Amino acid sequence: MAGQSTSPTSPASQTSAVAVIYFAILGIATTAFGLADLMVTASGSEFAYGILEIPNDIFRGGWGGLVVFFAGLLYLSGARNMGDIHQFAKVAMGSILIWIIAGCDIFAMITESIPGGEEGPWFNTLTGFIEAYAPPYAPAVLLLPFSLVVIYYVRKRVSGETRGGTSS
Amino acid sequence: MKLGVEERWDLIDRISKETVTFGVYRHTLKDAIGELTIKPMTGIPVAIAILYGFWSVFGSFAGFFTDGFFVRLFDAYWLPWLQAVFPGEGGWLYAIMVDAGGIESGEFVLSSNCLESFGVLTSGLFVAIGVVLPAILIFYLMLAILEDIGYMPRLAVLIDTMLHKIGLHGYAIVPTILSLGCNVPGVTATRILETKKQRFIMMTLLAIFIPCGAQIGIMQDVVPDLMGWILLYLIIGYFIFGYILNKVIPGRAPEFLIDVPPYRRPMLSNIGKKVLGRVKGFFMVALPFVMLGCAIVGVFYQLGVIRFLGDLLAPIFVGWFGVPAETAGPLVAAFLRKDLAVAQLSVIEMTKYQMITAVVLVSIYFPCVATFVMMLKEGLKELIGALAVLAVTVFLYGGLIHLIGKLLGVA
Repeated sequence: MAGQSTSPTSPASQTSAVAVIYFAILGIATTAFGLADLMVTASGSEFAYGILEIPNDIFRGGWGGLVVFFAGLLYLSGARNMGDIHQFAKVAMGSILIWIIAGCDIFAMITESIPGGEEGPWFNTLTGFIEAYAPPYAPAVLLLPFSLVVIYYVRKRVSGETRGGTSS
Repeated sequence: MKLGVEERWDLIDRISKETVTFGVYRHTLKDAIGELTIKPMTGIPVAIAILYGFWSVFGSFAGFFTDGFFVRLFDAYWLPWLQAVFPGEGGWLYAIMVDAGGIESGEFVLSSNCLESFGVLTSGLFVAIGVVLPAILIFYLMLAILEDIGYMPRLAVLIDTMLHKIGLHGYAIVPTILSLGCNVPGVTATRILETKKQRFIMMTLLAIFIPCGAQIGIMQDVVPDLMGWILLYLIIGYFIFGYILNKVIPGRAPEFLIDVPPYRRPMLSNIGKKVLGRVKGFFMVALPFVMLGCAIVGVFYQLGVIRFLGDLLAPIFVGWFGVPAETAGPLVAAFLRKDLAVAQLSVIEMTKYQMITAVVLVSIYFPCVATFVMMLKEGLKELIGALAVLAVTVFLYGGLIHLIGKLLGVA
């Protein structure tokens, strides 16, 4: 239940202060990236800055951007009162959405890095293979390491659950 | 031995004490995530993300094998080798089995790639192994993972309200998604729907609006930038004509009860069995029809049947559907092989909107021969009804797409 308190020694309350701030900031950044994806796609222009490149095609920029935007909203919604399991599940789900988008981007990089191209040899050269993984990256890939933090809190909560800790 | 009421209750108490474990149920993170994926507010964004992942992995995997290796294998090695060793170049058997070729300045010219050669051993094998196999394999793998995790029942619950508007219920998502791999198991899966009305609506919608893996694979290969628009038109058509069919066809469309299982770690052996079974099923049932379809299209081309029908129907294609006259031939050939028809369309010069219209027409056209046979198995009356709906739908929806294009100034 939203707003249900947990015992002071429970894992949820131990993590809440740091976690709430962290995931609120991550939520704002993720939502902003999602909106940027959607706006760049709608404008049809290209956007690249440093290691960041926002895709402008309807699939990755439009559909994928919408998912990143939803992930941001889930973080923001779940960061409030994260001690509650249902709220924490929203944060975890936000990370899962980022993993789906970033995972697909990385999988696409892998599949594009192996073949040698139409005119080249059957398999890519080592240089070409490594170059395929060089920046710039899409927003979801940049958000990926920050979203992995949720695993720490999930483990903490699960170990609490097995010791008979929090339940809502 | 006969027990009294008190003795019976005592016995029940003793048995339950020995067999039932009592405790406090704790709501775990897995349970909470399970609930989130069913509630519309959070479940719909998750469904959108999962479908994104599904298509993204599908495109990358199929592209990796098809564009990365099979295109080169078939175009640079298999086709030239067959063109050289198969006897009777320019003859009818050569045209049907290897390469129909073309005429340039009055001379017979061999094709440069397998998609344009239209031979059973070239285009047929390339489509079957080079395009469809990777597409079907990854499609069924992803589907099996989603089934094993326990996501599919949640998707069924999420989409239930929407599908009730077209006379179906949440379970209809199973035949719909299966059909995206191959329409044959999709038609078989309509049996999970309870009433005749539901089965008829589902079967008709599958035959018309759901492109199979072979067709999606080819579309991904030859018109990747138009895929989104084509699928959007098909989804809109699915719901518009489903709504109309629900209003027109008499019968019941009952509610459904579903037991949503908890999320589980997928089992490798389960997934392996499902994928292998489905891929094997596709190759045993549908693949012979792919090859047969190629052969028949080849024969019809040689006999001039497709050219004749194309010329005859060209005024309708040009005037009503707004596509170039050259598309009439491939659209007629789509009667037998939709995937090859898409490949043929891709080499015709036309605007983007005309290409979208033409590919949508191919998709909503007559179902492939294998699906046709499966529909016949479900009943002759149902098949005739579905074909009547199909004819009306192609005419109306094709015209509507043309009209939309005209209003937008792109047709």
